[in-house]
Amino acid sequence: MVQVFLFGLVTALATGLGAIPFAFVRSVSPRVVAYTNALASGLMLGASFGLLAEGAEFGRLATLIGANLGVLFVLVAGKLLGDHELEFGAVRGEDARKMTLIVLVMTVHSIAEGVAIGTAFAGGTTLAIVITAAIAVHNIPEGLAISAVLRPRGASIAACAGWSIVSSLPQPLLAAPAFLFVGTFSALLPYGIGFAAGAMVFMVLVELLPEAFEAGRRSTIALLVSVAMVTMVLFQQTL
Amino acid sequence: MDPILVVLVFATLAAFTAPLGILPLRSRTAVPPAWLGWANALAAGFMLGAAYVIAETALVAHPVRAAAGALLGIAYTHLSHRASGVGDIDLNRLDEVDPTYGYRILFVSGLHGAMEGLAIGLAMLESLPFGILVALAMAVHNVPEAAVLGSVLRSSGLGPVRTAGLAVAANIGQVLLAIVAFAIVPAVPGLLPWAFGFAVGGLTYLAFSELLPEAYDRAGPVSIALVTSVATGFVVLLRGIVR
Repeated sequence: MVQVFLFGLVTALATGLGAIPFAFVRSVSPRVVAYTNALASGLMLGASFGLLAEGAEFGRLATLIGANLGVLFVLVAGKLLGDHELEFGAVRGEDARKMTLIVLVMTVHSIAEGVAIGTAFAGGTTLAIVITAAIAVHNIPEGLAISAVLRPRGASIAACAGWSIVSSLPQPLLAAPAFLFVGTFSALLPYGIGFAAGAMVFMVLVELLPEAFEAGRRSTIALLVSVAMVTMVLFQQTL
Repeated sequence: MDPILVVLVFATLAAFTAPLGILPLRSRTAVPPAWLGWANALAAGFMLGAAYVIAETALVAHPVRAAAGALLGIAYTHLSHRASGVGDIDLNRLDEVDPTYGYRILFVSGLHGAMEGLAIGLAMLESLPFGILVALAMAVHNVPEAAVLGSVLRSSGLGPVRTAGLAVAANIGQVLLAIVAFAIVPAVPGLLPWAFGFAVGGLTYLAFSELLPEAYDRAGPVSIALVTSVATGFVVLLRGIVR
């Protein structure tokens, strides 16, 4: 039990590594925002592909229902966040809304991942270290996606790493109960997986891409999104 | 019916819906821009859904070869857009009279048609009923595409019959590529993951380089995101139902 939690914690800490490449990004020009948005979009779409393919094995309809709930979640959360005067560190207004939303969406998506870790452990603990290592590696590009949204809007590198780790904390917290009550949780898993994928895809479509197309070249954005997506899928399918 | 005939019939049907897009132009009522945006979003969703289903088959079995194929598809589409100078032009301008704009639109329609044909052929390989559904989705998508093409060509002084002919001609590569993909890909050992990957790369690149940016220009992001995700989910769900 404690072991499952600790393994989950290691995977959460790995997410913070995704912030490192952004130590070199300082410019806050709209063009940089456009291209980092495109990068985050590709990574999130690639991650959603992996989730949907996994969810389809458990139940296609349940995954799709979950995905619809995920879309609804982003719609409602985006609307509610827009109604409040938000502050994200020293950042305010529309940027702060987008930063809060990405952390929220990625945190919610980690819930499903945490359940997946827990149920995987229940299958047998001999492969525990391999599974943990694989998920830890998967988390690094997720930290990259979060930092790609936070950093060009004025967050410090420490804040990028910190929020990346926070977004992954549901993994250890949910891995343990999922391991204990595997029957209940594995029935909920396809809904959770669908929810995570739906929320990420909709976040990309409604927040990240429209903003990217306003400031960047279409062909460059398309190139960044599609290459990041394919790389992410390859990364997840082979590791 | 012989499977290859099924491919021929439905790919042809998809190409020949194009003149339907020209009909509303005769009534001289303007198409509201938001409708064009939603039509683009619908097309983007269909393309992404088809790409997802094709990727699901290929990437899980041969991730490295399929991903390499996808990168090739992205590079090919990106470079052909760049080389022909259509990389960043707006394709939905209904008021444009410059003839070179018309040619560019024709070229891009042809390029889209080729990629859609590849998708139809490969979807038919997945299963015939699913391939038919993808062909029908592409047929629906060709209508608004032809509406734009048609209005551009009409405004440069072309008659309705020739406009309809050119709209079909721009899509005819689709029929050829659907049949070629269906017949040749399974016959060449080891080609399957590469071809599937190539189609996935090309389809996603087109969705993000043209369909989505043009959609966002014409309607609010929430409605565009909803139409796109529902269309994607629709194709993915159909794959689950039609085995």
